[in-house]
Amino acid sequence: MELLNIKYQKYKLDNGLEIILHQNKNLPAVAVNVWYKVGSAQETKGKTGVAHLFEHMMFQGSENVAKEKHFKYVQESGGTLNGSTSIDRTNYYEKLPSNYLELALWLESDRMGYFLPALNQEKLDNQKDVVFNERLERYDNQPYGLAWELLITNLYDKNHPYSWPTIGFADDIKNYNLDDVVNFFKKYYSPNNASLVVAGNFDVEKTKSLIEKYFANIESGEELNHLKTVNKKLDENKVITYEDNVQLERIYLSWPSGKAYSENDAALDILSDLLTGSKNSRLYKTLVFQKEIAQDISAFQFSGKYAGHFTIVGTAKPGHTLDEIKSEIFKEINNIKVNGISSKELHRSKIGIKSSFVFSLQNLDSIADHLNSYNFYLNEPNSFSFDLNRYDKVTTKEINNVSEKYLSKPFVELRIIPKSSKT
Amino acid sequence: MKFDRSKKPSPSSEISFKMPSQSKFSLNNGLDIYFVKKKELPIIRLNVIINAGSKFDLTNKKGTSNLLTMCIDEGAGKYNALELSEQFDLLGAHLSLNCNNDTIQITLQTLKENFNEALDLLGKILTEPHLTEKDFDREKSKIQTQLKQLSDDPDYLANTAFESILFGESHPYSFPVLGLNDNIANINNDEISSYYSKFILPSNSFIIAVGDITKEELKKNLNEHISVWEKGNADFHVDKVSNPDKKTVYIVNKKDAVQTEIRVGHHSTGKKSKDYFSKHLLNTILGGQFTSRINLNLREKHGYTYGAGSSFNYYKDDAYFGVSTSVGIENTTNTLNEIFYELNNIRNGVTEEELSFAKSSIIRKFPLNFETYRQVASHIIGKVIYDLPDDYYDKYINNINSVSIDEVNEAATKNIFPDSAMTVLVGDKDKLLEQLKDDNFGEIKVVD
Repeated sequence: MELLNIKYQKYKLDNGLEIILHQNKNLPAVAVNVWYKVGSAQETKGKTGVAHLFEHMMFQGSENVAKEKHFKYVQESGGTLNGSTSIDRTNYYEKLPSNYLELALWLESDRMGYFLPALNQEKLDNQKDVVFNERLERYDNQPYGLAWELLITNLYDKNHPYSWPTIGFADDIKNYNLDDVVNFFKKYYSPNNASLVVAGNFDVEKTKSLIEKYFANIESGEELNHLKTVNKKLDENKVITYEDNVQLERIYLSWPSGKAYSENDAALDILSDLLTGSKNSRLYKTLVFQKEIAQDISAFQFSGKYAGHFTIVGTAKPGHTLDEIKSEIFKEINNIKVNGISSKELHRSKIGIKSSFVFSLQNLDSIADHLNSYNFYLNEPNSFSFDLNRYDKVTTKEINNVSEKYLSKPFVELRIIPKSSKT
Repeated sequence: MKFDRSKKPSPSSEISFKMPSQSKFSLNNGLDIYFVKKKELPIIRLNVIINAGSKFDLTNKKGTSNLLTMCIDEGAGKYNALELSEQFDLLGAHLSLNCNNDTIQITLQTLKENFNEALDLLGKILTEPHLTEKDFDREKSKIQTQLKQLSDDPDYLANTAFESILFGESHPYSFPVLGLNDNIANINNDEISSYYSKFILPSNSFIIAVGDITKEELKKNLNEHISVWEKGNADFHVDKVSNPDKKTVYIVNKKDAVQTEIRVGHHSTGKKSKDYFSKHLLNTILGGQFTSRINLNLREKHGYTYGAGSSFNYYKDDAYFGVSTSVGIENTTNTLNEIFYELNNIRNGVTEEELSFAKSSIIRKFPLNFETYRQVASHIIGKVIYDLPDDYYDKYINNINSVSIDEVNEAATKNIFPDSAMTVLVGDKDKLLEQLKDDNFGEIKVVD
């Protein structure tokens, strides 16, 4: 599809910063999106969550931008902004009226190159409190909020970089000190460990010289190696039961699978859609629509640079048990392994994926982030068509194969159940 | 390259932005269509807006309109529920249905090439829904279970408790859109069918279409698939009597909660009040953005919370002002002190600098509000529902620009009432009572 051919220019500054420019003149707007190639995977035991805490610190000002001014300047110019931290990377982004492009480049370059002089203990203490509250609000005080943490800590070996949550363990959050933050910045926030996307309505030559002006003087840092990870096999099934402030029981089944963009990654995405992605999907139809034993059911392939896992989650309706749900799930998986899926089912999934690709092009910031993401994982920003083709190429036979290959192996089973009433 | 890094760069030349132009026409059955041509992508988005939201639910039948929303796409025309869903899937079309206090909204987003076929299916949902007993029973059980689940969710508990207490029992907005479990138990499928016949009518609805299509073609397609929908003769509105505001703290007990969900607020004037733009600027300064006073105080200064903000919330027939945040239990009274400080303090006036910041951010952001198909549609929906003038968005920037600092300060004293603001706290009752005893945020009441 020509629509998915997102044209761009890519080059590197002398200090190693990668630049990706994409012109799109639909609106008088411009998106600036920076990826630092560091996520929670680069953290060490006892200091989990520091990548995410660091993301907060990047909004606390830099040498030429006082605390709170980063937000103020962008919002004053009519822009929106945020950042996010994942297992593999941390991103920062702004979308502004196109005449404020230089402002965004100034702000991003100031915190990339001149962050440390503005750092102090007071700011750190404040953001530790904020992050601690974020953890309470989004995880500890949410029904089923600790499920993810319980899954990954059991699914991955305790030394694997995906075995801790991005938000960090509660005790670790309390213990970060100023040195942790300084060292993290020095090691990971160098131009040679980052890529900058500018997408939208701008003049290419002027923008190139602005990027040169603001970013070229920032010194590069040490070369970073890929993490060495050992994906130890899960030898046997693990069953964990956790009591939470919930009324309905929920079961999670999770199998180790493959990395992002690896051989079966797309087939596993499609498998998740075939199982739970629509009213006619196998598990939704049986468990929720026909037998009404589950309130909800969902499945997903979660994959990063170093590993992945495939998960099915179902909530039992009152009067039904997790055993019933589990047994139906395995019945359906076996059914797929033995009898396969129809070409009509596969077609249905592929049509949906194709539309979603087109729908996703509505947002300039989403396009900018995709360019950075494809560049990070595939070293080719314009991979929209390649990505869609990954799904288009999946055959009914491959669905059989991946069901056998991954879902026959040991898995982690997590059950979250209501707190037993104490007398 | 040598330059002074400490200097904030200035914007390059001014940008120009043209509002997408909107046209309006009617179908043969009288249904009003608002259309915006948008052709960057081969997408068409259609919203059917029906004046049939939960405010029309009868006493003891709270949850009827939402249940109809859940049932209406469970089979229509020649397709049963599963077949109908499959037909949309095979077109790659996204159908979503939503019920709120004022309206039922049915949204279709599709690639242009499949628009006509998807529209045919949508037409069947509007005119020939099956509404069978079997589908009804399943959806009813689903919503009953969902409400049970939501009783674990502190955010949901805080929002529904706040609106319930603020509006008061006889008010149509005092009930959750999803309904009440003991009411839902009393609703039968005949009542869903009657609700459908009574409310789902062209004379009670309008459509917004945004996308890559000509007006002529759109009109032809809509007349082909939607005009069999019989006009009807609808004229529905609600009566409302609100509770007066009284400074009171209501505690919703959630044992073992590790945070307190906080809501503070009171009634307010509607979207058509003449100080609407002053109120909008006022709230932008007080709590509408990350850099507003409330968030800077509670998050960036004190570290009590991950985020805090305030808003004027507008429904078609009523409105209220509310502050919202969640904090560690030990900081509940500290937080309330700061919230009430900010509500009192804003009544002393804002600075010129704050006002010019708020104006600048709203005005300069304006073009970015029309980026996606959903954004364009939702702006027009708002204009029609709140019965705003046709040129509302054309005059928007001027209207913001012309507000003076005196008008904002007057809006503060006329719209922010700390002395009669009610507070809802969702958290561990025992710990909250212990903490609140010496502070005066109003009389304390524990509610179920």
